[in-house]
Amino acid sequence: MTLTIITLLPSLQNTNGDAENAAVLAKRAGWAGLDARVVAVESRDDLPERVDAIVIGSGTDAALDVARTRLLDLHDDLRRWGTEGVPILAVGTGWELLSWGIELPDGSGVEGLGILPGRAVPHPAGRITGDLVVSERGTKQLLVGFENHARAYVGAEGSPLGRVRAGEGNALGSGQEGVVMGAVIGTHLHGPVLAKNPHLADRLLRTMAERAGLSYERGEQTRVVDAYAESARIAHLAAAGVDLESATATSPDV
Amino acid sequence: MRYAPAILAGRLTRFAARLRKPGGGSAVPGLVVNRIAPGYLKRTLSGFPQGLVVVTGSSGKSTTTKMLVAVLRAHGIDVFTNPSTANISQGLTSALLERADWQGRVPGEMAVLEMDEGHGALVMQGVDARTVTLMNVMVDQVDRFHDSEMVAGMLARIAARARESVIVNADDAYLEQIATRVGADVSVRRFGVSETVVAASPRGLGYAKTVETRLAAGDGVRLESVDGRNAVIDDHGSAVAITLPARGTHYGVDATAAYATAQAVLGGRFDSAVTAAALSAIPAVFGRGERVNVRGQEVDFVLVQNTASYQLNVDSIEPGTSDILFAIGSDVRDPSYFWPADASSLGRVSIVSGSKSAEAALMLSYDGVAIDRVEPDLATAVDDFLAAPPPAFGTKTIVFSADSMRRTRAHLGLTGAE
Repeated sequence: MTLTIITLLPSLQNTNGDAENAAVLAKRAGWAGLDARVVAVESRDDLPERVDAIVIGSGTDAALDVARTRLLDLHDDLRRWGTEGVPILAVGTGWELLSWGIELPDGSGVEGLGILPGRAVPHPAGRITGDLVVSERGTKQLLVGFENHARAYVGAEGSPLGRVRAGEGNALGSGQEGVVMGAVIGTHLHGPVLAKNPHLADRLLRTMAERAGLSYERGEQTRVVDAYAESARIAHLAAAGVDLESATATSPDV
Repeated sequence: MRYAPAILAGRLTRFAARLRKPGGGSAVPGLVVNRIAPGYLKRTLSGFPQGLVVVTGSSGKSTTTKMLVAVLRAHGIDVFTNPSTANISQGLTSALLERADWQGRVPGEMAVLEMDEGHGALVMQGVDARTVTLMNVMVDQVDRFHDSEMVAGMLARIAARARESVIVNADDAYLEQIATRVGADVSVRRFGVSETVVAASPRGLGYAKTVETRLAAGDGVRLESVDGRNAVIDDHGSAVAITLPARGTHYGVDATAAYATAQAVLGGRFDSAVTAAALSAIPAVFGRGERVNVRGQEVDFVLVQNTASYQLNVDSIEPGTSDILFAIGSDVRDPSYFWPADASSLGRVSIVSGSKSAEAALMLSYDGVAIDRVEPDLATAVDDFLAAPPPAFGTKTIVFSADSMRRTRAHLGLTGAE
């Protein structure tokens, strides 16, 4: 039994290394003694028989239309995975494409695939960049990373990923970041978010393992690597001005 | 006469700066002159009798500039150029000051400048260039340039200053778009690589958007093949063999760009044999693949600036190299964009350092690279790395970001080359 993680349109949607989250899942599964592989899916022809998790990263605005057209072929699959509880991590414009739609400053728009509620709207104050720290809804765990996006996100106030501790997140005064529907997660946290937030990675892995009738326990090497993640997290929190005391109190044991 | 007071002020500033930090090449004198005499930079750049040639783009501009200067000098031209660390306004003015007489006049028949893609458009306002060479558009420091379109837009503004010719990398789709929009009286010349070169680069060329088809032989200057340090350039049907300063396809592309630019600038005076000899005589370039002798041992310096250069430079490190110091500094605010590269060939790294050492260690471990030690303090890391016994295999190698490179050089008392 091999766990298969697919990365959608990596040629278009990997500007900030977000597609590498698929490799992060595969590596952690491997360190836990599970067989895992990453399959790049540029078109529906590339789809493997079985899919255990899906990652879609962020791309440039110029690629929005092309990416949407290619994703439309996978519309039914995405709907099915979402309903069946297959973990999906969607970052930046990859998330926006799975939403109801994207509004552009010139009044035009890109219709989304409607997998996640809400829509991306222009951010009047311009592009948002910097450290983003989020207190995750439910677990209160801190999620850290960088954000770099041109748009705000509205219409998903009922089911955010969490509350913003530093940074902008969904912006427009919402104080929220991201959206979660079942096992589908949309976030502005770009780059290797699963490497920097091991508890989130492990939650996805446990869901994957459970669905496949396997069990997931962190491996030896995972602990070594997560110690680096913890140092990076502390640096992030310091840079973002988030109180280290409260942060370490809620971080996972390493 | 009009710039004499500003030049004097700049000189005094430079003198003061050097008292404070011996060996330091500071941008501050340039800042002073730019303040006192805002027209100086523009006027001086426009004043070279045989004009100004600008090399810009995300990656490779340093090497290409060095190669082009060597080729032009080999043809007997007196060339003024800027050090690669001085490719923005203040640094450029400081570099001009280094060579200026008391009135601010800079000797040289022609200027060949490496221009930062972000600052170039501003520096070039009101300055005409004879020729602008566009290297490529790559995904660069993400918090600086948010996306490739923005970089392409900045390069288009620099290209618009060309009066005679624009030299473009025909494999880069963004640059080909720019080429379609140059003025009617400006000629477009192209350089590129052959299908053979692409086939030998499993990771591709690294451009943000690559053109589907290769430049046809005869439509420009084409890099035919790269084998270790040997490369062959096709110049409209004739094969020119050259030796590169180090292994790596990107050096071949840089040499091809320099060849095409020299050909455009020199016209009838261009001699391909002289050019090949000059290109082959280039020593390894500053900060990237540079071999230095420090504290009684040879050390290789490898600079990484963006995803593509990171990949190419890591690939060019001899597999099995036993002693590697890997340092990422505060210049890389968000290292996310390095993640698509694969550094697994490094195998093991002795020390990971720099203010982003935790991020770097995290990234390397997900590439399957073993890490002996993480030491955030770069000076300590460099000292310990150099104090360690000779390597079991290969040369001690330091891989660093630009900021860590500057700090390492300063710590070791190494000054910059031209």
